[in-house]
Amino acid sequence: MSASAVIDLKLGDLRRLEEVADREALSQLCRSFFELFGLSIRVFSEGGALLADVHEERSICRYVNTLPGGRRSCAATVGEVKGLRPNATAVHPCFTGAVYRVTPIEYQGRQVGRVVIGPYLPIETGQVPKSLLVVDPEVQSEEARRHLEEMPRVRAETAIRIGEHLRGIVDLLLFASHRAHLTSEMHIASVRESYRELTEKTERLQQAFDQLKELDRLKSNFLATVSHELRTPLTSIIGYSEMLASGMAGELNQEQLEFAETIHTKGDHLLELISSLLDLSKLEQGSLKLARREVTPSDILHDVATTLIPRASKKNIRVQVESAEHVGTVSGDPVRIRQILSNLGDNALKFTPEGGTVFLSAGTTELDDHEDGGSGHVLFGASRPAVEFVVRDTGMGIPKGELPRIFNAFYQVDGSSTREHGGVGLGLSIVQRLTEAHEGTIAVESEVGAGTTFRVVLPEQPTEG
Amino acid sequence: MQLDFKARELTVKLVYYGPALSGKTTNLQAIHRLVSAEATGRLMTLETQDDRTLFFDLLPLTFKSKDSGPQVRIKLFTVPGQVMHNATRRLVLQGADGIAFVADSQKSETRANQVAFRNMLDNLKEQGLDPNQLPKVVQFNKRDLPEIRPDEEIDRLAAKGEEPVFKAIALRGIGVRETFLGLFERVWWKLEEAHALKEKFGLDPNQFLQEVASRLAPPEQTGVVP
Repeated sequence: MSASAVIDLKLGDLRRLEEVADREALSQLCRSFFELFGLSIRVFSEGGALLADVHEERSICRYVNTLPGGRRSCAATVGEVKGLRPNATAVHPCFTGAVYRVTPIEYQGRQVGRVVIGPYLPIETGQVPKSLLVVDPEVQSEEARRHLEEMPRVRAETAIRIGEHLRGIVDLLLFASHRAHLTSEMHIASVRESYRELTEKTERLQQAFDQLKELDRLKSNFLATVSHELRTPLTSIIGYSEMLASGMAGELNQEQLEFAETIHTKGDHLLELISSLLDLSKLEQGSLKLARREVTPSDILHDVATTLIPRASKKNIRVQVESAEHVGTVSGDPVRIRQILSNLGDNALKFTPEGGTVFLSAGTTELDDHEDGGSGHVLFGASRPAVEFVVRDTGMGIPKGELPRIFNAFYQVDGSSTREHGGVGLGLSIVQRLTEAHEGTIAVESEVGAGTTFRVVLPEQPTEG
Repeated sequence: MQLDFKARELTVKLVYYGPALSGKTTNLQAIHRLVSAEATGRLMTLETQDDRTLFFDLLPLTFKSKDSGPQVRIKLFTVPGQVMHNATRRLVLQGADGIAFVADSQKSETRANQVAFRNMLDNLKEQGLDPNQLPKVVQFNKRDLPEIRPDEEIDRLAAKGEEPVFKAIALRGIGVRETFLGLFERVWWKLEEAHALKEKFGLDPNQFLQEVASRLAPPEQTGVVP
């Protein structure tokens, strides 16, 4: 809490009247009492600051101030009245016979100021008092009497009542301002306290986030190391089983040959899996190097189709490449683009039942740099020509709820241990990361029972000139 | 506590803590009715929404001891009960000399009471106050409702617990005086121990506590209507 706060929030205390009193409101209040009773009214704070002052100079005051002795005594009286700190309402006499009534203003058990009413003449005043006649040798008794008669006369109890009412209304004004002040101070303090709390929480979250990031990095490192270490012995297993099967170590009987070939095939599968893991960790670390050159979409599509056809025909699935003519070229790593499309093609084959079709196509489209759309899109978005590769199947489809997660590494739509289709759930994750490495985008649409369409959009190779 | 030697003034802060709707504000309203006009100011309620306290309520009490002793000001605060106002609760706890924990007697509120009490301990610690050192009392309010925790159970647990326990129907002013005096007494002895008020101000604890008690009229004399 700031030290400069007007109010001590701990105790909700009001320290100084001048800090919360609305001087304008106090002056108006005093003016209204003045108009009602014709009495001068002043409000002082405990420290002596004049907060409201509505008065009319009385003719007797004007008169005595024309005389040097009167001026001195008047100043002295006014000084005395200002210095008064009575505990209860009290009167202070003036040498003219008039009095000032001083009523203390208490707030929450503390004196915070006082109301001064007067000067006025007590109702019982008779003759011109001696103190007035002797104040200066020049005082004219008759003139003084005439002036004095113009002074308002008030009963003591009336003056007390006026003082009491005024004090009561000042108290109400103070209460209202005090509450308004406390409320606004409390507002600010609460906001500040909530902010402090949030800042602490954010810091803790940031720390947790940094730790997780570090763990993720370690995980990727671990994957890379392990994959590498696994690959080395696996290469030997594959090589030796291949040599064994080819009869280099002597003729094998049928059963031995089958065993050796099984070792070889399973070894290949394992190698593929390990390569995927290695790819993924490289992609996650951003250390995958792309060997970019100009790639012609139709060539790539035919390549991919050729690798898919043998397996497709086993399942009696048609692979159909749709026209990809008049499509621009893409700047990318042909091996990786082929990997993207074969992965998608493999998936399509895997989830398409017998007699189905897998379509491969390429077309021209545009790629938005500023993806969000919405407000200001027309200003911030920039489109550039791009090539859209589409892999569409007539397979089982993916339920809507699963779509947002299919690109997560190790995620399987059917995560059960008894699932029908193999794989570790790395394919789509790698496809997505490879696409992003090419500054492209990938999207999926699917309808359960009708099939799935993947769209990979890669920026077109800029034409020269 | 705030001590102003020059002004011979001493200010004590007591906080009424508890879950939402347990009757903290009602306690202050009842005390306001009990105390004579010259000893109390207006009950100040800072911001409410649908009759619920948003910031705090504040009731100032002033006791001037006889023969020119110091003036003792007691400031009673409530906290907003709802969970979301924790920052405000923490602010109100600052500088508290004692706490009256107002629990809701209804069985259904048992858990809310526990949550609020734990929250209070956490907030005290966060304010750098030692919860074990701070005088506390517990009030079981709303004794007139059905489905409340039975007297026998409360008495049994209270006997083992550390804080004095009071039962109340704050709406009717019952038990409010006892809770306040019970807390104030504990707070005053603690302050006496720490600041030697008798020695410094000539304030005799027994006498002063009696004086404070006498200024709070027992409820039957006030004609309080529920």
